[in-house]
Amino acid sequence: MGKGSRVWKITGVVSVAATLMLVCGFAYAVSDVIFPVPPDTGSAGLENAASDERQVAPGNMDVTAVGDSLAKGTGDDTGSGFARAVSELLQKQGVDSKLVNNLGINGLTTSGVLPMLDEDGVQYALRQAGVIILSIGANDLFAGADQMTGLPDEDQLLNKMKQAEERFVKIVEEIRKINSEAQLVYVMLYNPFSDLEEVREQGNRIVQEWNQFAAAVMASTGQGLAIPTSDLFTFNAGRYLAEDHFHPNRDGYQAIAERIVQALAVTTVSGEERK
Amino acid sequence: MRALNNQIMGLVQNETEKMIKKKRFYVVLLVLLVLVPVFSYAQMKQAESKREKYGTDWRREVQQAITDNQNSLGSDRVPEEWKKYRQVYIQQMKYYLEHNVNPAAPGGVTFTREFLDNAATLFIPLLIMGLGSDIVSAERTTGTIKMLLTRPVRRWKILLSKLITLLMFVSLTVLAVFVICYLISGMFFGYKGFQLPVFTGFRLDGASVDLSSVHAVPQWKYLFMQAGLVWYVGVVVAILALMVSVLVRSTAASIIIMMSSLIAGNILTNMASAWTSAKYLFMVNLGLTDYLAGTPVPIEGMSLGFSLIVLGIWAACSLIVSFLVFTKQDILN
Amino acid sequence: MKLESHADRAANLPEVVLQVDRLKKVIGKKTIVENVSFTVREGEIFGFLGPNGAGKTTTIRMLVDLIRPTEGSVSICGHQVNRNPELALSYVGSIVENPEVYSYLTGYENLEQFARMQPGISKERLKEVAALVGLDARIHDKVKTYSLGMRQRLGIAQALLGAPKLLILDEPTNGLDPKGIKELRQFIRSLADQGMAVVVSSHLLSEIQLMCDRVAIISRGKVLASGPVAELIRNSSSYVAWQLVPRVRGEEALRALGCQLIEHPGEVLDDALLTGSMEGSILTEMREEEIRELIPQLVKAGIQIQGAHKINPTLEQLFLEMTERESIE
Repeated sequence: MGKGSRVWKITGVVSVAATLMLVCGFAYAVSDVIFPVPPDTGSAGLENAASDERQVAPGNMDVTAVGDSLAKGTGDDTGSGFARAVSELLQKQGVDSKLVNNLGINGLTTSGVLPMLDEDGVQYALRQAGVIILSIGANDLFAGADQMTGLPDEDQLLNKMKQAEERFVKIVEEIRKINSEAQLVYVMLYNPFSDLEEVREQGNRIVQEWNQFAAAVMASTGQGLAIPTSDLFTFNAGRYLAEDHFHPNRDGYQAIAERIVQALAVTTVSGEERK
Repeated sequence: MRALNNQIMGLVQNETEKMIKKKRFYVVLLVLLVLVPVFSYAQMKQAESKREKYGTDWRREVQQAITDNQNSLGSDRVPEEWKKYRQVYIQQMKYYLEHNVNPAAPGGVTFTREFLDNAATLFIPLLIMGLGSDIVSAERTTGTIKMLLTRPVRRWKILLSKLITLLMFVSLTVLAVFVICYLISGMFFGYKGFQLPVFTGFRLDGASVDLSSVHAVPQWKYLFMQAGLVWYVGVVVAILALMVSVLVRSTAASIIIMMSSLIAGNILTNMASAWTSAKYLFMVNLGLTDYLAGTPVPIEGMSLGFSLIVLGIWAACSLIVSFLVFTKQDILN
Repeated sequence: MKLESHADRAANLPEVVLQVDRLKKVIGKKTIVENVSFTVREGEIFGFLGPNGAGKTTTIRMLVDLIRPTEGSVSICGHQVNRNPELALSYVGSIVENPEVYSYLTGYENLEQFARMQPGISKERLKEVAALVGLDARIHDKVKTYSLGMRQRLGIAQALLGAPKLLILDEPTNGLDPKGIKELRQFIRSLADQGMAVVVSSHLLSEIQLMCDRVAIISRGKVLASGPVAELIRNSSSYVAWQLVPRVRGEEALRALGCQLIEHPGEVLDDALLTGSMEGSILTEMREEEIRELIPQLVKAGIQIQGAHKINPTLEQLFLEMTERESIE
């Protein structure tokens, strides 16, 4: 009986011990889920441990994009958008750069960005970047508009624009609060309806007005850049717009990225010269 | 009483010996020893490719996951249930970021925790079903039931001893899954991580998450709770398998019945949210660990208490049926 | 029950071990077994005879609590199987149909399994039983590697483990070679000689005849006859093979004397019996007393009697008579 009974004894003892343990685990889990302990000071301690936040090193050219579908890269079949393209172009020039995060969300408006900037993850991603690319505003102005319905009437639009402008200023301030060192690139609007005769005029006016305002805001911030895009799409809509006639396509994003890099390059060189 | 205990003890020893000599439990261990390294390797590859993009910076990774999910929320192509699921996920991830806790710090312990979450509804029940669904029917298929039932032992004692043995092996299986998972994944990811904090207590109210009772527990405690819940699921599955094994004469048939109902459960949880009375089916309620992790429930109105009661009722009914049938049944073949 | 056993003792009869009383089993709408009663006493080998499907197995299974009787009762050593199976079955060792054991265990482990199911079986008893059936050399091998005969012996070993008062063997010679059958027969006899009551079921009539003291013949769920084997045979008419010269006149004379001649002997008797010296004999069916009266009358009629052989009926004939030539196999 020797061997058989030894196996039996081991099996018996181990399984009884395991069962007891598992029953305890079960009881603990049930009580924890059904009658949870209110959060104690334990989790506060965790937050303290979190503060290993470092400031960006000077000369850092890592990219974070924030904003709407353009920031995200909607319409680009490769999915990279201008954020990744910028980082790749910089790498080609021998600059050490990576994409920190692409925080672009389809359909985001100025009022959507503001609460985002309070989030820890977003703040963290922004802090990690040497280059922050912002694309916002189009959804505020053209929301609900498409090629069929055209644009809402002028008064309403102006009213909307005014509110959006206020928020835009706030956004730039907030970003600057989070990261004062990084170069902040604003990708200005283009008129997505340039191939639609009825609304082209109106669209152009609005875009122009907004861009002027945005450029002024960016100029007033340190390390601010406003990159114009509307000229790209004025006559080359077919070449640079995606099938939806609204978002840029791969080439469009690439063209925008090249402009951004051109604008950045100066500062990079000077940054290196500083060294 | 003592004599009864001794008798039951002897019977349990018999069943244990049969279970071991039939090599069923070895098969379970073997399956784990083969599959866990495969999963670990796949996980490692995935971690490697992430590391290329994000380095060791998990915050960026989590933030990107949040953004990606936010983007899918805008799409009309994504079903509403998935959106709910993603909204909850986003809020949980934000919570982790706010508290600067990596929700998936690499390590053997984290792997074990994630593996368990995924294995709780199908993989472990399947293993247990493999142990249990022929515990009576095999005796009938081979005819040894006649030897068993012509002994001077009451039939309910025979079945009770089988049940006890099965429950013992449920515990051993759950234990084995944990130990093997930890030991093997540790070779890939390291053996650390017992003290890492994990958040639990997310309460879901539709698509929004009630964070008031969220609290951090060290990962070992979380594993401990997970194991307990998985064990409960295992016990229920074992009892159901026992019943099927009593009712169905052929081993193959009882395995097929158990297997298809488990898989049906998995399919149902993915699509049954519209059919609310499906929540009374046992197979939809096997994901007990989801309540711990705060994953949205497959069907409105489910909660841990609800699932425990549903599973408990199923188990109790199966026990009653098993014992009634087994003690009354004529052995004709 | 008690009264009866006192009466038995007074009559100096061995004690009743198994008492089967008006068993009936209905499954669905079909009556499988009806009104089956018999008793088996200590030291007796009781044969349970019937073709396949006659209800033998159902009856045997009711004896050991595998099937619940619809009506009637089984008591073993005074304990009803239905009411008190734990006590009643502790006196029984059985093999129902094939000796099914766990093939993934060794012979010894199998015996251990069964030993744990009844109290008071020592390790020594295991070894003793293994030796008794001649399996001690291979008892630690996996049953998978056993021949059918060895499995049979293991089955008997497990049945004997608890030193039962009643041994029930369902078709014990299935799958055994002639030598094995002979050994088994002797073995069972020796067990009975030690006082064990044995119930053997079989569809092989010759087996029962060779092995059993008493027999019950069952067909279509009913007991057709039961009693000591010798008595059953004596009560039935026997055949007489007459060798008369001249044959034709002899036949006429027999007919004239009111005898029933059997035209086709092959139908009632084994052909082998009628070859050789009995070639060409005239077959009649009559009781023993009639023969003595017939001989002088034949002589008077001037017929020479070269031989008159009485052929005792086998159980087979008995059985054929009773079941109206129902097929056995």
